[in-house]
Amino acid sequence: MSTAHLIAVGSSPLGKTDLPGRDLFSKALAEAFEDLPDPADVVDALYVGAQSERYENQIMQGTLMAEWAGLRNVPAERVEACAAAGALALKNAVRDVRAGVHDAVLACGVEKMTAGGTEGATNALGAAFERALEQRSGITAPATYALLARRYLHETDATERDLGRIAVKNHGNAAANPRAMFQQAVDIETVMDAPEVAPPLKLYDCAPVTDGAAAIVVANDEVAADLQGRPDTIRVAGVGSAANNLAVAERDLTFVEGANVAASTAYEDAGVGAADIDVAEVHDAFTVCEALLAEAAEFAPKGRGIETVEVPGDRSAGWTDVQINTSGGLKARGHPIGATGLLQAVEAYEQLTGRAGERQVADADTALLINEGGVADAHTVATVLTAQ
Amino acid sequence: MTDDSDSPMTDTENTTTGPLAPEDITADSAFTLPGFFDALSEGRLLAARCTECDTHMLPPRPACYGCGSRAVTLSEQPRTGEVISYTSVNRPPSAFEHLAPITVAVVELDSSARLTGRVAAPLDDVSIGDRVELRVRDPETVDIDPDFDLSYEEEWPIHVFELM
Ligand SMILES: [Zn+2]
Repeated sequence: MSTAHLIAVGSSPLGKTDLPGRDLFSKALAEAFEDLPDPADVVDALYVGAQSERYENQIMQGTLMAEWAGLRNVPAERVEACAAAGALALKNAVRDVRAGVHDAVLACGVEKMTAGGTEGATNALGAAFERALEQRSGITAPATYALLARRYLHETDATERDLGRIAVKNHGNAAANPRAMFQQAVDIETVMDAPEVAPPLKLYDCAPVTDGAAAIVVANDEVAADLQGRPDTIRVAGVGSAANNLAVAERDLTFVEGANVAASTAYEDAGVGAADIDVAEVHDAFTVCEALLAEAAEFAPKGRGIETVEVPGDRSAGWTDVQINTSGGLKARGHPIGATGLLQAVEAYEQLTGRAGERQVADADTALLINEGGVADAHTVATVLTAQ
Repeated sequence: MTDDSDSPMTDTENTTTGPLAPEDITADSAFTLPGFFDALSEGRLLAARCTECDTHMLPPRPACYGCGSRAVTLSEQPRTGEVISYTSVNRPPSAFEHLAPITVAVVELDSSARLTGRVAAPLDDVSIGDRVELRVRDPETVDIDPDFDLSYEEEWPIHVFELM
């Protein structure tokens, strides 16, 4: 089995932009290949994560992205698992490289969420929920996560203010991230005074509707060694994924079991444990998810995931020293659905290669990514990355 | 299946279990959505029950998510249960906008089956642990944009919980 390396990364601007999806992809591709030969001379295949064709009335994203990268007559596939699509693209690229099917693969993701306004995004995201009983009850993404949050606050000592502090922490991190959509800090009073979206979740508990794209080159040992100018690649050490039930009602609302399975699988694949992880990007589509995923990844004891906001020395016994969502997370870096899992990998790349600037975590050499789709736990991909 | 009177998967009185045969899977069977909603229209809420581990599943399906067994049978469900969690959809999908804000809850029925549904009460009146009863509404009496329905959904009833 070959080792899979991430040898180059790129992302588009994140937020409401004037660029359609394919042009956002062009921006991400241009950054990723800035110091590389043409994509056609580097990669043999492409996977693209894209949540919905509703935004731009365009399927066949695999073919389109390949064309825009100058790739022709190569395998090029769109993958879909709502917000986990980006990590799924990365996972498939890694699998192909490890298996020797391809020497190098382009993993990318794109979403033009603002194309149909807030209503368009609400309706497109609604397709991720179970149709027969849940969609027909009028639920939305904030509402389904609010069901998790309400139960979490009921079963633990956590408060709405504790959830709000996760948003404050992530905005603070994004202020030091030039890629982030919201590069400004917010204070807890602003967060607590914001309008309710789906109680107990308020505006700042929710990741924004975001346009964006990301592109990552995954390569085997030979390609990684051959390409000049990219000595600081990182290694994919472990991958895991799991699908839990689609209906939120049929899952444990305070233990994201699929994420626990995915993370455990990735740890085992990498030969590491939770305590070895220095930095983690976890799927904070809503603040409660960051707490739930800190517990599912075995960073935090049950019910204490909210201490993700504390510096390691101030956390409860049983917590690891991991730093979570240094990018600003989905909340403040931005959440262009199909690209999000790859944006998490971009942050890991910057942390593990010492390029994270003001938000650099000292001596970071092992990272965990958790990317989820379809109300928290319906689909999870976990990835362990290490510095070379 | 050659003898309909012997069909194990469409008769809640029959306890025969095992993998569904291809010929069992018709729109008359509550193991399909049309059959499930037809029964619901007639006042029967049918779940799949796993005969290996007793997981109850709404809507019914051919295999158990709890243990993987296909030894499932249909089981008529109690209408009553309790609120496990709840919230309010303040900005619903466009087809539901006339209903906003929509109180919704995850409810565990007294059989242990769990499902999400609207609650016919303001958010402030609902708490975790509240007892609720499932009611079935004709779709025409619920103010949902008819364009929301797929062609095969038009006659399907809509469920809602009432506080007891
Ligand atoms: Zn079972």
